[in-house]
Amino acid sequence: MKKSLALMSLLAVLAAAGCGSGDAGANTLSFLGPEDPKTFQPVIDGFEAEHPGVRIAYTQIPFDQLNSTLQQRLAAEDETIDVYTVDQPRVSALAARGFLADLSDWKDRVKQAALPAQYDVNEFRGKLWSVPIWTSDQFLFYNKTLLKQAGVTPPSSDPAERWTWERTVEAGRQAQARGGAQWALIPEQIEQYYQLQSLPESLGGGSGITGTDMLTPALTTEGWIKAMTWYRDLFAGGLAPRGVGSFQTSPLFTEGKVAFFAGGPWDVGTFGAAKDLDWGVAPYPYFEGGKQVTPTGSWSWGINPASKRQRLAREFLEYAALNPEGNLLTTKASPIIPANRAAFEKYVPTLDALAGEKSRGAGEILTYDADHTAVARPRSVGYIQFEDIMTKTFADIRNGADPKTRLEQAAREVTTAWAQLR
Amino acid sequence: MSRRLYTLLATVIGLAFALPLLWALSSSLRGGSEIFQHISRLSWETLVPASPTLANYGALATGAFGRAILNSLLVALVTVVAGLLISAAAAFGLSALRFRGQGALFAIVVLSFLIPFDAIAIPLATLFRDWDLTNTYAGLILPGLGHGLAIFLLRQFFLAIPGDLVEAARIDGLGWFGVFGRIYLPLSRPALVSAGLTLFIFQWQSYVWPLLIGTGTDHQLGPIALANMRGQFTIDYGQLFAGSIVLTVIPLLIILRFQRHFTQSIATTGLK
Repeated sequence: MKKSLALMSLLAVLAAAGCGSGDAGANTLSFLGPEDPKTFQPVIDGFEAEHPGVRIAYTQIPFDQLNSTLQQRLAAEDETIDVYTVDQPRVSALAARGFLADLSDWKDRVKQAALPAQYDVNEFRGKLWSVPIWTSDQFLFYNKTLLKQAGVTPPSSDPAERWTWERTVEAGRQAQARGGAQWALIPEQIEQYYQLQSLPESLGGGSGITGTDMLTPALTTEGWIKAMTWYRDLFAGGLAPRGVGSFQTSPLFTEGKVAFFAGGPWDVGTFGAAKDLDWGVAPYPYFEGGKQVTPTGSWSWGINPASKRQRLAREFLEYAALNPEGNLLTTKASPIIPANRAAFEKYVPTLDALAGEKSRGAGEILTYDADHTAVARPRSVGYIQFEDIMTKTFADIRNGADPKTRLEQAAREVTTAWAQLR
Repeated sequence: MSRRLYTLLATVIGLAFALPLLWALSSSLRGGSEIFQHISRLSWETLVPASPTLANYGALATGAFGRAILNSLLVALVTVVAGLLISAAAAFGLSALRFRGQGALFAIVVLSFLIPFDAIAIPLATLFRDWDLTNTYAGLILPGLGHGLAIFLLRQFFLAIPGDLVEAARIDGLGWFGVFGRIYLPLSRPALVSAGLTLFIFQWQSYVWPLLIGTGTDHQLGPIALANMRGQFTIDYGQLFAGSIVLTVIPLLIILRFQRHFTQSIATTGLK
């Protein structure tokens, strides 16, 4: 009995060991990213159809662990990664550590093919390190029913009639008082720099990072303090909820409790699927007397320098970023904006019609923002540390911390974190 | 009277601990948009779904998660069977036999489980990559096999087996393998159960390791499949809760099944 047990377990181990990785062939490209495999299936199918005999093996890494996992594996020169997705503000840090292959010979091609704000984010120290796949924008969604009950005229979808934050808050307040709204205004990424950068930028406060090497914090400018004071008051005044995390906010709008919601194009699909919800879309607001600024940026793709399949990896990148057809396929399964200009133009009408009458105007806003108001996140080798510190800062301010003191503290923390990078 | 009060208190505390799990369970039985509907105003509907549905579980079974659960089970079970044999053999060597350097060897075993696995995972992953073990079941199973704590538990238990019994068996002509297989193993069921559970839990919750050795979709484990459900832009909370429930219930069933042996073993490991 014991003998057979021992034998069985040995066999099991051997059998398990035998199921090795048979797919490490010369024509199999391994591709890593945080998205659901369904997202990339169309572009993978498209590429494989154009390149018979080539296979793309995609592996999903949980979003929260993507950066640490990549860091560890790329530092160990893991050649089982060929192509991977790069969060655009992290391009500099990854390039500085030698984790991205140089693509500078594509500079002109990428400049021509990509949307205006989508070339620079891939450049660091004069070289091109990754190719833009997606970009993003933010809209102001509003609940038609709540505004109607409050007797508020909803904002127009015309970018020329963009509302200010002040006007949005006032209308939201009325919807709370008379329309039965639980919350006046919720920014989707409630503690994320991606979304909140637009507030100080609109008031001329800058991105928060300055200097020729982009390693000096500038968080205590007048614009930053004013913007963060406004942000704190949003929560202190009961206009927006505390205790709800980024990306847990959209269910609140779906349930019809929120008058205004600042969210991305991906929400068009989600809100469109909610049957009883009547909503519309308007341009992302700005501060009165300030600049019109909208968040932008998304993901690029890059090549691992340790990969043994550089040529094939470049072909895949070329297809997904520079070929409009391939780039459009990356957006087929989830509503995100293609970064390739020609793909973008084809995509706009799709987004406009995604939720019928409700999403009308989204395409026009998207086109206008991409050319006029989009401001990308700063390019700095220290962005990763900066973003972490800012997330905590925003959380504290949201929970009532004094904006000026907290921003000064954040600036000190950033300086300490960057000391070793200088 | 005070006894009743204590019972009541214990029940309330017990319920407080169970509440989040019950909420997760009830949420896993709801449709996507219904989950957060009753959260801002607490009522009985917060815990009892209005129209329970098994759709979330159905979706799990057909997606990558179903495969991942099977992978997790395979990895954990192979680890338990092979790991128990290895640990028991090592524990036998450290308790029944006498040889030079035994104390030092035992000290190394104890030290090995005092070092957190995550601390050695990164260099170990580099070695595994060189050995071509990335994205294989063997790569997932091997680090779980030699478990210091399992060896320690078994050795302590083996020490309690009377030396006279071994001597008598040896005189009757039984070899060392015979002593191990026919006397030690059958007598140590409680200790084997607790060591087996240790090995099982180690593999069931392993998370960093499979990420480090580049596990593809075919070899993905349960916890990673669960984390992958949290999409970047949208999250299906219903499925997420259903996945968490499945991942919790499987070890729970196993522990309940072996609970008797487990408590018995904890109670007796210290005895001589």
